Amino acid sequence: MKPIIQCTNVTKGFGSKTVLQQLNFELTQGDTAALIGPNGAGKTTLFSIICGYLRQDSGSVSLFGHKPGSSALFGQVAALPQDARFDPAFSIGEQLDFYGRLQGLSSKAARQETLRVLTLVDLAEQVQQKAAALSHGMCKRAAIAQAFIGSPQLILLDEPTAGLDPVNALHIRQLINRLSGDVSFMISSHNIFELEQLCNKVLYLEHGKLQADTTSENEQQLQQYLTLQLEDDNTEVVTAAIGQLPGLLSIRPMQKKELQLCYDPQQNANFDLELLQCLAANGWRYRNLTKGQTLEQKLFNTA
Amino acid sequence: MPHPKQTLQHCGLYASFELRRLLLTRRGLMTLAATTVIWFFLLRYAIAPASDIIVAEGFQQVFSDMFGSTGLSQLFAWPAPELAIYWILSLLLLPMLCLFFTANQLCSDLQRGTLRLLALRSSRLSIVLGRFSGQMLVQCCLILLSLVATLALATWREGSLTLPMLNAAAVIAVNLLLVLLPFTALMSCFSAMVRSSRLAVSLAIVSLGLLVALLSWFIVYFPDFLFLLGYLPGVQVMQLLPLQGWQTLQHAVLPLVQTVVLLGLASLLLTRRAL
Repeated sequence: MKPIIQCTNVTKGFGSKTVLQQLNFELTQGDTAALIGPNGAGKTTLFSIICGYLRQDSGSVSLFGHKPGSSALFGQVAALPQDARFDPAFSIGEQLDFYGRLQGLSSKAARQETLRVLTLVDLAEQVQQKAAALSHGMCKRAAIAQAFIGSPQLILLDEPTAGLDPVNALHIRQLINRLSGDVSFMISSHNIFELEQLCNKVLYLEHGKLQADTTSENEQQLQQYLTLQLEDDNTEVVTAAIGQLPGLLSIRPMQKKELQLCYDPQQNANFDLELLQCLAANGWRYRNLTKGQTLEQKLFNTA
Repeated sequence: MPHPKQTLQHCGLYASFELRRLLLTRRGLMTLAATTVIWFFLLRYAIAPASDIIVAEGFQQVFSDMFGSTGLSQLFAWPAPELAIYWILSLLLLPMLCLFFTANQLCSDLQRGTLRLLALRSSRLSIVLGRFSGQMLVQCCLILLSLVATLALATWREGSLTLPMLNAAAVIAVNLLLVLLPFTALMSCFSAMVRSSRLAVSLAIVSLGLLVALLSWFIVYFPDFLFLLGYLPGVQVMQLLPLQGWQTLQHAVLPLVQTVVLLGLASLLLTRRAL
């Protein structure tokens, strides 16, 4: 499949500091990719290069076969840039209308599109409000709304739910979930649980280098994981009992009352059932049993 | 390379958005109000009394005796003295006011990050040309408003509005726009460089001052390059002062070329800078 984003040996520095080093990755149609990394890892710089706001020092970036910022991408690529604000002098509706007009819509179609995208983020009633009169969260939602104008094929979202209340953050996640597949997303966020729900591909940036490029299909078949969260603080005795189960490869205490179990499914296909039976037989209550590793565990607890 | 038709369409959209900013936003209405007040005082306390003096019997003779048959005597040939005074005042004042008035073509959007939202939908060339066209459109409206007021004053004194007066007003409007073109384009450049309109104005004034000073110093040592002073923005203003009628357009080429060069530079600056 032809990649929609292709980055080859992308390097970018500011002064003597190299922010991105020889980055290589590609996204294909329908991917929802997570861009993760600590502060200063180069996420926003990479975002800015892909959006065409910055130029890389070396290497190449192409979106749908075009350079970032190319006129062929107008309307095809949308973005929620970090900290981009609307003009406070005009209403949100007027500005989204204007963006729609720039994307080639007629005045009437642009107004319909404005109402549609504002409805998506539950802001239709604020269409006449000036940007200056909206709260931070409302402005963020309006900024997300502008990314959905028209029918973009790729949407880049930089911290889409940062600063939103839980209900609206959930709405945004549901919206992205609903559209993913038809639209490709690239989402930068520090909310790892959010990215886990939404994304099928993870780009982990650290010190300007791509440390991990994982997809949900990359689960290792030779070993599988279970995360067991106990009701009581009895991990030591539970560990001793579970250690006797056939197929167990390793057992790691995670947080308090939490264990991560690694087993070989070829040795024992019913390991999870036997685990539950072991717990029931000893009268140990559990709060949660999760199959597979969380994204957080994959990225940070691989030892 | 952006499609020319799309660039033109986007320019039109940006220009009309700027016109809406003038007519429908608080800041725009404040600009209109300030312009009205300035022109009210100019008309009431400068243009009207000066016109009365000009038409007074004997003044033209005294003026000719004092200054001889210099080009300034041509001012008496305007169909109404109000238009002659308006011509002098606006030619001298508007270029300086233009630096302040058009300084915020891109600065605020750069500072807010709004340009990032625009750059995903239109080329940076369209943004520069659109904002420039918008500023020219707004200045055109303000010039027309002040000209209408001047014509009203002349009509009130003369008793009727004549065709030569309308023709002279058209000459003035076209020439003022031509004079303002390079200054507006100059501010396109400076507003593409910095994130504050005040800084853009300061940069423009300092740069123009430095340029004139350096050129003058250079010409002292290399007098053969005196002609370079003739390429500075607004240099044709002094040549325009004694002229009238459509012959003024003989000085139109230089500002047009300056505008094209400066807009090219502004577009290059915006294209190369990080948003």
